Amino acid sequence: MIVALSAFLAAGVRLGVPLVLAALGEMVSERAGVLNIGLEGSIIAGALGSVLGAMATGSPALGILIGAAAGLLVGLAFAVPVVWLNTDQIITGTAVTLLGLGGTAAVYTARFGATGAQLDVPQLDRLRIPVLADIPVIGPALFDVAPTVYLTFALAPLLGWFLFRTEWGLEVRAVGEDPDAAAAAGLPVRRLRFGAALFGTLLAGLAGAHLALAYAGTFTENMSAGRGFIAIAVVVLGRWRPWGVLVAGLFFGAADALQYLLQTLGWDIGYQLFLALPYILTLAALGGWIGRARAPAALGLPWPRTH
Amino acid sequence: MIRARWWGPFFAIGLALAVTSVALALGGYDVPQALGALWRGAFGSEQAIASFTLKRSVPLLLTGLAVALAFRAGIWNIGAEGQLYAGAVAGFTVGFVGGGLPAAVVIPAMLAASLVAGAAWAAFPTVMKLRGGTNEVITTLLLNFVAIHLTAWLIDGPLQEPQGVYNETAPLPESATLGTLWPGTDLHVGFALAVALAVVLWVVFRFTRVGFLIRAVGEGPEAARIAGRVDSGRLSAGVFLASGALAGLAGAVHVAGVDLALYPGLSQGWGYTAIAVALLARLNPLAVIATAIFFGAIQAGGTSMQRVAGVPLAWVNVIEAITVIGVLIAARGRSRSGGDAGAPEAA
Amino acid sequence: MTDREVRAAVRIRGLRRTFGSVVALDDARLEVRAGEVHALVGENGAGKTTLLSVLAGHLRPDAGEVEVDGASVFGAGRARGWSTRDAWNRGVGMVHQHFALVPRLTGEENLSLGVRRARSGWALPTDWVRERVHRIRAETGLEVDLSRQVEALSIGERQRLEIVKVLLRDPRILVLDEPTAVLAPSEVEGLLTLLRRLAGEGRAVLLVAHKLDEVLRVADRITVLRNGRTVLEADRAAVTARSVAEAMVGDAEALDAPQRTTVEPGEVRARWLGRTDGVDLELRAGEIVGIAGVEGNGQRELARALAGRETAAGPGGSGGAPGRIHLPDRVAYVPQDRGREGLIGSFDLAENVALGHHADPDVRGGPGGAFLRWNALVARTREMIHTFGIRTSGSRATAASLSGGNQQRLVVARELHGSPELVVAENPTRGLDVAGARFVHDQLHRLRRAKHAPAIVLVSTDLDEVLALSDRVFTIVRGRLTEVPEAERTREGVGARMLEAGEGRAARAGEGTS
Repeated sequence: MIVALSAFLAAGVRLGVPLVLAALGEMVSERAGVLNIGLEGSIIAGALGSVLGAMATGSPALGILIGAAAGLLVGLAFAVPVVWLNTDQIITGTAVTLLGLGGTAAVYTARFGATGAQLDVPQLDRLRIPVLADIPVIGPALFDVAPTVYLTFALAPLLGWFLFRTEWGLEVRAVGEDPDAAAAAGLPVRRLRFGAALFGTLLAGLAGAHLALAYAGTFTENMSAGRGFIAIAVVVLGRWRPWGVLVAGLFFGAADALQYLLQTLGWDIGYQLFLALPYILTLAALGGWIGRARAPAALGLPWPRTH
Repeated sequence: MIRARWWGPFFAIGLALAVTSVALALGGYDVPQALGALWRGAFGSEQAIASFTLKRSVPLLLTGLAVALAFRAGIWNIGAEGQLYAGAVAGFTVGFVGGGLPAAVVIPAMLAASLVAGAAWAAFPTVMKLRGGTNEVITTLLLNFVAIHLTAWLIDGPLQEPQGVYNETAPLPESATLGTLWPGTDLHVGFALAVALAVVLWVVFRFTRVGFLIRAVGEGPEAARIAGRVDSGRLSAGVFLASGALAGLAGAVHVAGVDLALYPGLSQGWGYTAIAVALLARLNPLAVIATAIFFGAIQAGGTSMQRVAGVPLAWVNVIEAITVIGVLIAARGRSRSGGDAGAPEAA
Repeated sequence: MTDREVRAAVRIRGLRRTFGSVVALDDARLEVRAGEVHALVGENGAGKTTLLSVLAGHLRPDAGEVEVDGASVFGAGRARGWSTRDAWNRGVGMVHQHFALVPRLTGEENLSLGVRRARSGWALPTDWVRERVHRIRAETGLEVDLSRQVEALSIGERQRLEIVKVLLRDPRILVLDEPTAVLAPSEVEGLLTLLRRLAGEGRAVLLVAHKLDEVLRVADRITVLRNGRTVLEADRAAVTARSVAEAMVGDAEALDAPQRTTVEPGEVRARWLGRTDGVDLELRAGEIVGIAGVEGNGQRELARALAGRETAAGPGGSGGAPGRIHLPDRVAYVPQDRGREGLIGSFDLAENVALGHHADPDVRGGPGGAFLRWNALVARTREMIHTFGIRTSGSRATAASLSGGNQQRLVVARELHGSPELVVAENPTRGLDVAGARFVHDQLHRLRRAKHAPAIVLVSTDLDEVLALSDRVFTIVRGRLTEVPEAERTREGVGARMLEAGEGRAARAGEGTS
């Protein structure tokens, strides 16, 4: 039982971390008023980029960085039209998802063939924190994990500080709430939105890199498996606050990991139902206790508005 | 709404072709050979046109109409994919159970069931949007995944074929399948149904009162409510459900016309491609016929491009994505209308 | 205050700016001196806003010279950019008519926005802001709430915050665009006192307004714009209200309101039963009932309720929820925000007419009336264009292509079609030029005298409009209606009743009604 629970927690963290990473980035982007449905494209690009990078350099750390950069690159295909050309955010995002999934699949097949040979990818090793890792049940889940996990946990307070305690953060929030007022105060609205959106895709790329190098250990087509979309729901669940997003992301990871726990306990009622569970829980949460949370007022709206 | 300049679609297609050519060249492919294969695979023969391009365009056309209908009213239904699955499952189930009855009874029952199921799958987002203003983009998106996983579970469980070996259902009985439209090819009558619906929808938007009010709610929700005294909540709910129903119909038509059984992953992301289809058509139902065929052609041609020039099928997605972004850029300056569409008070 | 210091803080000469074929400014002149309150007045559309936009760095003029604090910022050989930031750096501080505050940030956060004192962008300039706010309070007596979110503040509080925000940068030239439009009379007094004090500190204060009495009370000098030209520049002492008004309108006749005739009120057309205070509103045919109130006191909700439109949902309503209402079948409604609530900009004129008439059996056809008869609608639209003198390229032009005045004509034409029994007009002349406002007023008068006259409700924040047109006058304060007795129907009398809207005070229970 203890073993199962420990494994459940570890799986929950492993599955939750990429969501938290991507969602934290999306949170910053949405705080600036940019709703990026194309996150999925950045995540998958991050995954492929990290694998190619790690294989080329032999260094998983460099692979992670290259993955983040790949996420950013796809993010440009979203942020440039959306911020500078005022294209519709939702539709552009949908197209960028398609672009990311299609593009990575195309590059992957070109590079490794249609069947997908067994890849020999340098893995990102776990970083064990002595003593803490020996705590029963939670120790292995929290303190014997990949460096990207620690980074994720550090990012939540860091972004909280950034958004609510720095001038940059204030400006980002102002731009997402009321870009006209922000512009009147002399803020470079578009540059701030652009920066926030790109930061979001950078973290999405990082999430993909983590997924490939620290979780799966390889790349497969569509391996992002809708995480970009879930991350957007996680932002809503987390009420656009860093700690909320962290908790919501881990909650989602845990819901995802539940299938393994229940399977170990011998409840096999179809794994597909468990796959659907996190989405159903999120919908329930949206319909229930989250209903009243307010999104940034200018979320999804182009600026300047044209009539 | 998105009101592209007239050259928008041409610009977009031109941009897509240009970017694709460069990318293909960079990838080391023989560009003329690849594009030639693309063309021949889509339009090179009677078979290519009917059995590939037009047949593939049917689910795109129906979901494209679903999306165009919703978007016209300012409803961001990103859930055509899930609604399609719901319709497919419902249509199949009715067809399977009622297979003993004559086709004239079974087929309409199947289609009706898929309409209801698609609408039902849109019901929760509709209620959420109207009640709390929860952003339908997120709810419809999440429900897509629920629909896909639930369908997979049904196919793996209650609906699995009798031997319980294959990950699919038993085939539909003969009377529950759609007949052929173009003799000698695989094109089924679902295509004619979809085209007819496009014409109907066009007439609705163009000439009827309700169509006018739908446009009004989409273009100026406040003015529609205040000046037009439109009960926009009821109208939006009706449009949302109708959009879901159309997407659901796409599922049943595909199962009864092409697959003839249920498979997991039965849709190739049509519900998402539909957004591009509708947008490229500037939400005009008649133009949706053309854009659906265009995307059907790309998908048909993509298969042949893979076979002949060795270009991975995934390129099809890239071409579609670039086309959409091209359209958006051509239409830039026009924003989504209606403040409430993009900025949900509570999401 | 006159000759103490004659240094010009702002000097503008020969300013010209066109938008397409529209000439917004043509040879505009303005000179504002340090230490004075200078009023810039003019009708809507006279070019005040354009001139301010040039001064604030939002707009580039086509020609002319602009000097700020003795340095040329635009003119011969200086056609380079003059940006918002440049305007600030030169000491021009602008208090916009529509507050540039972010509703969901606190007062302090709003004040910190864009200060960029710490150029790193990391540390928030909290201490600096607090210290400055403290000093400004000491100097000017301006109190602001730093800790609450702006959306929780009253209009007056927001305006003070906006002024403090501008004062933070210690501007030498303070520009206020229609600052009194949103304020209750009591708040207006406070503001005017403040402006005098700021000018007393040696700042140049430029006050843009169209309410003459306020202007004449506070200004040292006055500049009048008409049709983009400066037509009058004078010391306060040298002008009278009448002479300024004539300069603004350029036509003494237009000043005289149309002759009012007494009309015997007809039958009761609509009835609104108030909730708790028992004030009933009976609307009779041939009678104009004016409802005056400071913005945000529930008049929007009341207007919509009277017009039979659903009331706006959500918080922010000031308790103006309707009681029981009896309405006739045909109600015309001229909403305040014609661009958003009256028309759909991307629709053409015929479609906008259809928006109001889609339920009319005459324009419906086909089985069950499911189809719209566009031929009939287009014909109807053409007729309206002709009858109401709407300037447009035709019934297929989009509503967005019309000027504000012509948009309002279209709304009025559509709503008055088919002899309504009740007409509800909400701030119907807001943002219109003299001709446009005149048109609307004439229409209301014509209706009142018509053979089958409707009952008319005029809901307006413009006291003068209400007083000039109404047979009976009500004030609305926090959703509560009070009838103003005949004897008290003066600016002062009604203004005093509207004053109840001041912050934090309990509304006076319906005195003076009996």
